[in-house]
Amino acid sequence: MVRLLLRFSEKEVGKPITAEVILEQGVPVNVLSAHINQLGGEILAEIPSAHLDKIVKAFRDRGVVVVVRKLIEVDSEECFHCGACLSLCPVNTITLNEDFSIVFDEGKCIGATCGLCADACPARAISLTR
Amino acid sequence: MKLNQKTARKKNKRTISELNKKIKNGDIQVLTVEQMKKLVEESGPEIAYREIDVVTTGTFGAMCSSGAIINLGHSDPPINITKAWINDVEACHPGAAVDLYLGATTMSETNPFEYGGGHVIEDMIQGKEVELRAKAYGTDCYPRTKLETTLTKHDLNQFYLLNFRNCYQRYNCATNSRNETLYTYMGKLLPNFKNATFSGSGSLNPLMNDPDYETIGIGTRIFLGGTHGYVIGEGTQHDPRNRFGTLMVRGNCKSMNPDFIQGAAFTKYGTTLYVGIGIPIPILHEGISKKVAITDEEILTDIVDYGVPRRTRPKLGKVSYKELKSGSITIKDRKVRVSPLSSFKKARTIAETLKTWIENATFYLSAPVERLPTDTIFKPMKQTKQIAFVENLIHPAITCKEEEKIEVVAQRIINRSINHIVVVDDQEKLRGIVTSWDITKAVAEGKEKLVDIIIKKVVTTTPDEPLEAASRKMAQHNISALPVINPHKKVLGIITSEDIANLVGRKKLG
Repeated sequence: MVRLLLRFSEKEVGKPITAEVILEQGVPVNVLSAHINQLGGEILAEIPSAHLDKIVKAFRDRGVVVVVRKLIEVDSEECFHCGACLSLCPVNTITLNEDFSIVFDEGKCIGATCGLCADACPARAISLTR
Repeated sequence: MKLNQKTARKKNKRTISELNKKIKNGDIQVLTVEQMKKLVEESGPEIAYREIDVVTTGTFGAMCSSGAIINLGHSDPPINITKAWINDVEACHPGAAVDLYLGATTMSETNPFEYGGGHVIEDMIQGKEVELRAKAYGTDCYPRTKLETTLTKHDLNQFYLLNFRNCYQRYNCATNSRNETLYTYMGKLLPNFKNATFSGSGSLNPLMNDPDYETIGIGTRIFLGGTHGYVIGEGTQHDPRNRFGTLMVRGNCKSMNPDFIQGAAFTKYGTTLYVGIGIPIPILHEGISKKVAITDEEILTDIVDYGVPRRTRPKLGKVSYKELKSGSITIKDRKVRVSPLSSFKKARTIAETLKTWIENATFYLSAPVERLPTDTIFKPMKQTKQIAFVENLIHPAITCKEEEKIEVVAQRIINRSINHIVVVDDQEKLRGIVTSWDITKAVAEGKEKLVDIIIKKVVTTTPDEPLEAASRKMAQHNISALPVINPHKKVLGIITSEDIANLVGRKKLG
């Protein structure tokens, strides 16, 4: 499975684009989280890896910005392992290791659709892919 | 007989100079305080005392009452600075011509909340070049009125960390009862007790391991920001009887290591400095070996509701550092995740580094020249003018029920000449709010049912909230009234921005 961050602008948000892509491509698109209103927003979706290219194309053809990169970037130079982020993650991306290191399981992160941890980092070490 | 007793006593005690001789000879026995706790647990305090000479502690946390003393040297022609900025962060000028004090929490005038004094100190310790701007009145002896230059730490005469409150023995655990996220000096607190935060390294903390200040005092040499520093007194708000002791410390920034001193920003709160402090505790007698065995389980702190913006915030129970470090605690019968704000990883590294320094004889112990007070108390502020609270301005709310017709409600708004009508249920509990604007809009759009236009997500206040905080809430949410409710959501009344404006106006006239 691959995670895609789909960004809808004000123009596209009124159209049933996700449904259209599912019907047209016949591929299940699992919406993990969404942060969206009339002005646009983001959907985090998961799709089978084998169909990545055609799904990305189908969304892009409809004017949706598709991000396939990592959803969260943690600057290990800046992070001083204080743990301010620990209690904020709703999907258990962040854990405290036995040696008291803060560890990010990036595969679990739902990225910019959530973003609760980023502004809580005193070292400003967390950035979300926009 | 007397002599025998004296020798016996002597046998059961060590002195700092004896330990320093051992350091010099390379046969000092050092453990980090974590290792020592294990040893005491396994072998008891007596054996631990016999085998171990010194233990090392550590903490790495946000310490806001920190800053640096800077001497710039004289310019030509000379200047007697009245105001100065380094990287747009204003420094205070507490003394003669070119002495500055740069506070960790002062924020940049061009990038506030993101960059501040703490960051400037870190940048300078890293050797980065910074920009200095200064202004002066100009005098006969100091004619210059303006100055701009760039400099690094190497250009300064003195660059000392001078922190007047550091190293809190322990601290509160913070949580939030309100229905909105709070951004505080205790980090980000999610609504409705969804998380909690705490600070301090618990059983690793220096003062927790010397709670009676037997070895830590004025003149104690310590690890400060990666170099040698000194305790120069008790910190401000030192409250040893309640186990809220603090320290005042000093150290040379020029030789500090940026791994152990870092600027930080708390969103919507401000900037600060993370400071690494490690203190050696010489095991001078068996009693100290017992005291350093204190565990996280034995260190308790209060869970405090930061949702109440008052000096005395409600306490919701006690919790141990063991529970806090486990990642979750229980608040009101619910499991709540917790964030530490200080780094245990760094605290541990500090204790290990200090251990190595002592073993390698690059760090010697010092006996305090004076003990720290063990009986001071932390008093609240004397206030000669009392501020106003919501309860001073509350008035009855005009209410309606959900099932009422828009027309009827509109009529009530006109009759009472008000702008806000509070929607309640049969028990007078808050269901929503409707404004005259909502009604106007509903009429324009041809809506008839009140239910369709009720605002369900209502920003509220309580009688004991300071008026200033309530007023800030209204401004933040761009609204002009707040229903006043009790903990059971029963509507007690309402306050409006108009009431506040009238009060302020009256005060000015008076």
